[in-house]
Amino acid sequence: MIRFEHVGLRYGIGPEVLSDIDFALEPGSFHFLTGPSGAGKTSLLSLMYLGRRPTRGLLTMFGQNINGVSRAQLAPLRQRIGMVFQDYRLLGHMSAFDNVALPLRIQGRPEKEIKSNVHELLEWVGLGDHMHVLPNTMSGGQQQRVSIARAVITRPRLLLADEPTGNLDDEIGFRLMNLFDQLNRMGTTILIATHDQGMIERFGHPKLVLEAGRVRVEEPKHWLARKMQGVF
Amino acid sequence: MGSAREKRSYDLPLNKSPGAGFLILLVALMTFLAMLALASSFALSAMTSRWSSGLENNVTAEIPAAAADGRILSADEIKTLTARANSALTGNASVVSTHVMTGQEIAELVKPWLGGGLPLDKVPLPGLIAVKLHDTTPKTVKTLESLLKTVAPQARIDTHEEWLTDLLRFTGALQFAAVLLTLVIGLTTVTAVAGAVRSRMAVHHAEVELLHLMGAHDSYISRQFQRHSLILAFKGAICGVLAGALSLMAIGWISGEMGVNLLPDFRLGGGQIAALAVLPALVAIIATVTARQTVLKVLEQMP
Repeated sequence: MIRFEHVGLRYGIGPEVLSDIDFALEPGSFHFLTGPSGAGKTSLLSLMYLGRRPTRGLLTMFGQNINGVSRAQLAPLRQRIGMVFQDYRLLGHMSAFDNVALPLRIQGRPEKEIKSNVHELLEWVGLGDHMHVLPNTMSGGQQQRVSIARAVITRPRLLLADEPTGNLDDEIGFRLMNLFDQLNRMGTTILIATHDQGMIERFGHPKLVLEAGRVRVEEPKHWLARKMQGVF
Repeated sequence: MGSAREKRSYDLPLNKSPGAGFLILLVALMTFLAMLALASSFALSAMTSRWSSGLENNVTAEIPAAAADGRILSADEIKTLTARANSALTGNASVVSTHVMTGQEIAELVKPWLGGGLPLDKVPLPGLIAVKLHDTTPKTVKTLESLLKTVAPQARIDTHEEWLTDLLRFTGALQFAAVLLTLVIGLTTVTAVAGAVRSRMAVHHAEVELLHLMGAHDSYISRQFQRHSLILAFKGAICGVLAGALSLMAIGWISGEMGVNLLPDFRLGGGQIAALAVLPALVAIIATVTARQTVLKVLEQMP
């Protein structure tokens, strides 16, 4: 699904914020991304949601070398990615319904399908009676749920989330992690950046630990065992 | 404020952006000026056409008041010579018709320069014959002039060519200036629209980037700006055309009241009115294309 080979990222002429990033995410995998503040998690995510191109190295996504792909070819690739931003990035002038519907409209889906899917998903995340409400009148948790719904509405092949449960209470946070698990079982590759060690231990997925611009993979023992037993 | 059941029209809040009224006003002014410039060009074209056709195959035979030896002829002598010249001309096959201009008619001609109420019977005015020919070739004119000189050596034929050529050159220059002005107005409109679009893209950079990251093609994003620019430009152009039409009607009425045939006639024909009526659509198209190109150029800066 995603392969980083000696990838580096530099902003302008400054030092590299990411150096020799080497890892791969297999299709259908589920990983957490952790690391201290300033380690480069957001930069790494920006490469993965194709917000930037690496300044060196090889980044392969969906079987394509990203450095060699034209701008026009990037748009369809981005449509396969769902992104939950830490600051939500909802469009303030659009209702919750229209925010969630946006990725489907960008893909040109019929309005009937959009209406049905968005209604269902907003109900599921507990915002059924907030469909036509503007984000600026919602709580942080509600906005986060809208943001998550928007990211998953297209059933993306890759879902990236930056602190998706940060503003949510335990119950909603657990439900949303179960939603992510459900999507993962349906084949979506998932990477969640988080500081929540409790959630990491609870769900037990492998970790990508980012430190000083470099990544190492940590796979929990029980996960390894399950892998060897062929559970995955 | 919390509810938003309004019909969705934009992914980007362009209709809420400041400066929309300014752009409408600017386009209205540009369209107004373009309309006046084009109308002026049409009027000049009609005027030159009228002059040219009016003088086509028409010449004036003149028997000057001064004889070849410099002696000033009396009014009776001029009258006699004019009558003889007229007889000579009417006998020529090239001549369709002649009209000997009366003293009153000649007085009217010189009135703009000499004023009215002058004792013109005491002024040595030339004898003038308006001659209509089958054609005005140099050979014909030369033949007629030779014929006239047998009557009066100082007589001559005025084809008005020199005067008309100068005038046509002048009006041609004015028409060129009007067309040039229209082009400059068009360029100014393009610049204004491009500037407004860039400004809006800067204001809504975060939203544009979000659409871009969600996989919106450049054309999806540009269509939003195209539509917005089209609507604003069309509104402005309609206002400009209406203001221009009212102005032209007023000018046409005033020039009609003045009744001076030398001036351009600002009363336009059906085809010309139709051409001006198309201006709002043309302006809207220019604005749409400009918006598209501007947006695409800015989006190229994004990865």
